Amino acid sequence: MSGNLTLALPSKGRLRESAEAMFSRAGFDIVRTGSARGYRGEVKGLSGIDVAFLSASEIAQSLRDGTVDLGVTGEDLLRETIAPDEPVADVMLRLGFGPADVVIAVPECWLDVAFVSDLDQVAAEFYESHGRRLRVATKYLALTRRFFADNGVTGYRIVESLGATEGAPASGSAEIIVDITTTGSTLKANRLKILDDGLILRSEAVLAARQAIAARPVVQNLRDRLELAI
Amino acid sequence: MTGKSSTERRAIDALNASMTQVFEAAGAEFIEPDIIQPADVFLERSGEHIRSRTYVFTDPSGAQLCLRPDLTVPACRYHLEQEADPASVARYCYAGKAFRHSRDTGNTSLREFDQVGLELFGGANTAQDDAEALALTLSALKAAEVSAYSIQLGDLGLFSALLASIDMPERWRTRLKRQFWRPRAFRDLINQLTGRTEKARTSISDLLDEMANSTLDAVSFVERHLDNNDLEMIAGRSIEQVAGRLSEKLLDRSEPAMSGDHARLIDDYLSIRAAPLQAIEKLKQLGSETDGDFASAVGLFEARVAEIENAGLQTGDMEFAAVFGRSLEYYTGFVFQIDRPLAGGASETIAGGGRYDTMLKDIGADVTIPAVGCAIYASRLLPDSGAAS
Repeated sequence: MSGNLTLALPSKGRLRESAEAMFSRAGFDIVRTGSARGYRGEVKGLSGIDVAFLSASEIAQSLRDGTVDLGVTGEDLLRETIAPDEPVADVMLRLGFGPADVVIAVPECWLDVAFVSDLDQVAAEFYESHGRRLRVATKYLALTRRFFADNGVTGYRIVESLGATEGAPASGSAEIIVDITTTGSTLKANRLKILDDGLILRSEAVLAARQAIAARPVVQNLRDRLELAI
Repeated sequence: MTGKSSTERRAIDALNASMTQVFEAAGAEFIEPDIIQPADVFLERSGEHIRSRTYVFTDPSGAQLCLRPDLTVPACRYHLEQEADPASVARYCYAGKAFRHSRDTGNTSLREFDQVGLELFGGANTAQDDAEALALTLSALKAAEVSAYSIQLGDLGLFSALLASIDMPERWRTRLKRQFWRPRAFRDLINQLTGRTEKARTSISDLLDEMANSTLDAVSFVERHLDNNDLEMIAGRSIEQVAGRLSEKLLDRSEPAMSGDHARLIDDYLSIRAAPLQAIEKLKQLGSETDGDFASAVGLFEARVAEIENAGLQTGDMEFAAVFGRSLEYYTGFVFQIDRPLAGGASETIAGGGRYDTMLKDIGADVTIPAVGCAIYASRLLPDSGAAS
């Protein structure tokens, strides 16, 4: 290994396209090394940085583990994996693409529920009539716990959901959900509504860096050049 | 650290034994509840903050199990299974491992730690049993040669009784009780009830307007609205429950605001923080402004303090705080917590306990069975443990 830093970039989807386009605009072409389908690469015109192509959620986890130093990923995934008060890695630059809101949504038929405080009362009522807690389907375990703790909702439990979270209330595997939405149309199609104060995080793609290397000139240079390309 | 040495093992065994002997001498049966517990019965009773730290797993038969994060619920389950008449008087003590996930994965003593505890079930004398639970906890600490600590007392029954004594809609009491633990949300609610905050339009204001102008009863109104919008009632709630809460919201629109005097009475109560005997005086000064329920709750508090003194304890160094309660969610009355100072002005909790009269019925008893107990964090009492945390 060289003493190079490792920058993790999304390996697929729209996040990958937007990230590579932005690096291009900043004057950094991303080239894949080895075979064309390889998972390693380099940034042309920027020495000292190797590129690893990973899925967005792997990027957040790798920043946490320290197997990569820098990464482009969704803020939702970063915050889910690394709490704001943990001195591991933090956002260096918000990139202006990949918008997604992490929200609390409840069945539309719950006509009486508009706020998180309603949810707390409904949870108590639910426990009384069923002898069990209100279930929240989500893949954002940590974000959900933190938000509910900050807002005084206690009578719930989380059901981990690995896909199609929005279908959980209708299928009966949970009563409410915490999920990402961009236009709200998927929620609407599933007859779910977002609480008036149910916005947990307004997320977008970010450049994040491990704290230990954030101040290095090569990292600051990358950040500054990307900022001009937003 | 991958385990305990022979010396460390002997030290913790001796420490645990010194405390369980105190409980056994008081008539408690020394039991060993199962380490592996069914996850559901357990997790439904703890808040998400305990759940998120509980080791949950699925065994080869598909059953959802967990490692006990606490020994109180396992002791309750043991009692219900062993006793032909669960409402009869029973006393148990235990010393064993509890398991909780810790972010600090380098220090395994944080995720598996020793807990020593006592549970008194079915006692008829509330004040006396409360006092005995506290007194035995302190005797156990003395046996473990722990002497420097502070004692904090609380009483969750007083707040409920105070609200019952103040004229207001029952739904307000329920909401105030739910927010009791959260100072910020509680303040917001008081401001809302006293009309200090302006009511803003919300996403359901239009619906409430429509309901106010409708000639239909609440349930029919909700049924028609669901029909018109092609909605089905799902997710475990009934049309009656939804209609009921909408009606309450409508009532709140026309309900006269809570008076400033009543809000002040609640504030005055919540600000009480004093040694138990002084606290009684302050409670009585409040009580003169209210009636029955609160007066009898203060009576129980006074009787408990008398029993604590009868047990030979000095209450002068203890502190009662009206806002104090433990966040384990299942306590219903008397609560206490014992902390000891650490270097640098910090402190750590070494024991806690209280009354949880609804638990046994919640997990399957036919009737309500009084219960009061304590848990001591034995691992924190080892001579070298203070500096580590």
